Amino acid sequence: MKKLETISRYIKRNFASSKLDLTINTFLLFIIWSFLVKIIYWIRFNAEWDIVTKNFPLYLFGSYPKAELWRPTLWISVIITLIIVTLSCPRKNNYTKLLPIIWILIVPLGIFLLAGGIGITPVASTDWGGITLTLCLTLSSGLLSLPLGILLAIGRQSNLFAIRKFCKLYIEFMRAMPLIAVLFFGQLLIPIFLPMGLEINRVMRAVLAFSLFTASYIAEDIRGGLQAIPNTQNEAAAALGLDSIQTFQLIIMPQAIKISLPALTNQAIGLLQNTSLMSILGLVEIFGISRSLLANPNFIGKYLEGYVWLACIYWLICTLMALLSKNLESKLNTDNI
Amino acid sequence: MKKRNLYVLELIIGIIIISIAGILINNLIINLIRTNMGLSYSWLMQPAGFAISEYLIPFKPSDNYSFALIVGWINSLRVIVFGLILSTFLGLFAGISMTSKNLILSNIAKLYIGLIRQVPLLIQLMFWYFVVFLGLSEKPHDFLWSLGNISNKGFQLLGIKLSVEYCALLIGLSVYSGASIAEVIRGGIKSVSQGQWEAFRSLGLTETIGLRRVIIPQALPAIVPGITSQYLNLAKNSTLAIAIGYADIYAISDTTITQTGRAIEGFSILLISFLLLNLVISKAMERVNTAVNHYKK
Repeated sequence: MKKLETISRYIKRNFASSKLDLTINTFLLFIIWSFLVKIIYWIRFNAEWDIVTKNFPLYLFGSYPKAELWRPTLWISVIITLIIVTLSCPRKNNYTKLLPIIWILIVPLGIFLLAGGIGITPVASTDWGGITLTLCLTLSSGLLSLPLGILLAIGRQSNLFAIRKFCKLYIEFMRAMPLIAVLFFGQLLIPIFLPMGLEINRVMRAVLAFSLFTASYIAEDIRGGLQAIPNTQNEAAAALGLDSIQTFQLIIMPQAIKISLPALTNQAIGLLQNTSLMSILGLVEIFGISRSLLANPNFIGKYLEGYVWLACIYWLICTLMALLSKNLESKLNTDNI
Repeated sequence: MKKRNLYVLELIIGIIIISIAGILINNLIINLIRTNMGLSYSWLMQPAGFAISEYLIPFKPSDNYSFALIVGWINSLRVIVFGLILSTFLGLFAGISMTSKNLILSNIAKLYIGLIRQVPLLIQLMFWYFVVFLGLSEKPHDFLWSLGNISNKGFQLLGIKLSVEYCALLIGLSVYSGASIAEVIRGGIKSVSQGQWEAFRSLGLTETIGLRRVIIPQALPAIVPGITSQYLNLAKNSTLAIAIGYADIYAISDTTITQTGRAIEGFSILLISFLLLNLVISKAMERVNTAVNHYKK
């Protein structure tokens, strides 16, 4: 009896504290109910998932040669293992320090496995695709743009007029442009700026344009972190006898990166989401794959299934990235040791 | 000595930057000479030769490229302006709902934001266009006592006709930016101290009036800078129109460049137009920002 009373009081407090709330909630519940019925009905009776089930390998690897599929599989499983290890490893551990290095090594490993070369058959970058290509684009542009962004942020605070102006101009111009335009012109203009003999493939051009774009955003995030550090840190370091390069490298930068970590996570998630724009330029990463599948007469009109499936994948990967970053933040948090 | 160390480093970086720029420009000139293109803007006055599906000022394929670009600009602005208004309302509503004590309302708002922000805008636009708007029936469906109708050919209200592409782009952009704006607004409201809530309640003000007259005015200084960058993002994201076939400035630049082969010139025009647009939005928001901070004092 008492329990019933508590429940009714709970309901009254949280769902019907006033007449207005009661009306709003009845209305909302009605809408939720009708939506739920529709969704369940659709999943139960109308949805046909053969666009997903029949093309699962395509979504994962694109048109990568069948005989060499173990290479992207190996790479993705290494990444998954690393995610699990990162999430589960304890905070105070000597091996924890190795994790960033292993994460950096993931990128060359992936490119080596995908492209082949020494010891394994080379595969042209036009055959890369699916989630593998999405991950490859995200990780390699992330790895390229981070140091570039840090350099730009430092350059923006430089005492030399020319460097400061150049970095500022670069950052502002890049931030003013829409990404799709940067990518499109990257494909067109990068070859014009290169010497005659040198040609780089579509994937590399995309990664390059992408990193040049993201670096300007990262630079602003890092600058925010740099500005948040009080000048007393500089003075303390000087009192300890560190020179300006040492101070920057050992005292200022680590703190600045720690402060800007949440913003950098948002950039990383944005980076992953933005790789979908590559499909407009003809790369067959996961979104490009589903675009071409939806144009296939066998799966015509399966837009809803195709997009729901894609949204789920992106949602899953983005949530994982957010989790990883929360984990990293708590590991870097030295405030209450 | 230590200071000089740093200067030497910076000087080296400066020299590297300048030499890279020099090499790039040198390559550019060599390639321009090789392809016999040179830099020229005279193509702007040549007839465009392509049709634009949607325009506010009449456009024929025989009109020149510069006119086509202007038509594209008007199309872009049409989406951006209404997108800003719609997403602000949506963001305000969702942001306030998140801080509401009503559990159902706040959870729906959280669900909306969590879902929308983790899925790429491009997929959402495709969804709105292919699933929602092209999924409508072919026969016009009347609403509001036949004042307007909606079908998979377009939307019509009181004689104003909107294409499906425009509707999909506008709704998709607004829903996406609305989620980010809601986050900014929630952050701003959270930044107002709890004591302010208790104070207005103890004065006997209702929740609505308290929120409007006490909380939001104090939250605005924290909200406006965040909203400014979301507005800039919305303007830049509107270029994804090309994916669903809406003729905005980027789509028309793209066609123009493919036809004329003038990539650098086209790029420079696009760059200048977006710099201008960014300037207009950030200057306008700066005004708002001073107004808001003046109120606080």
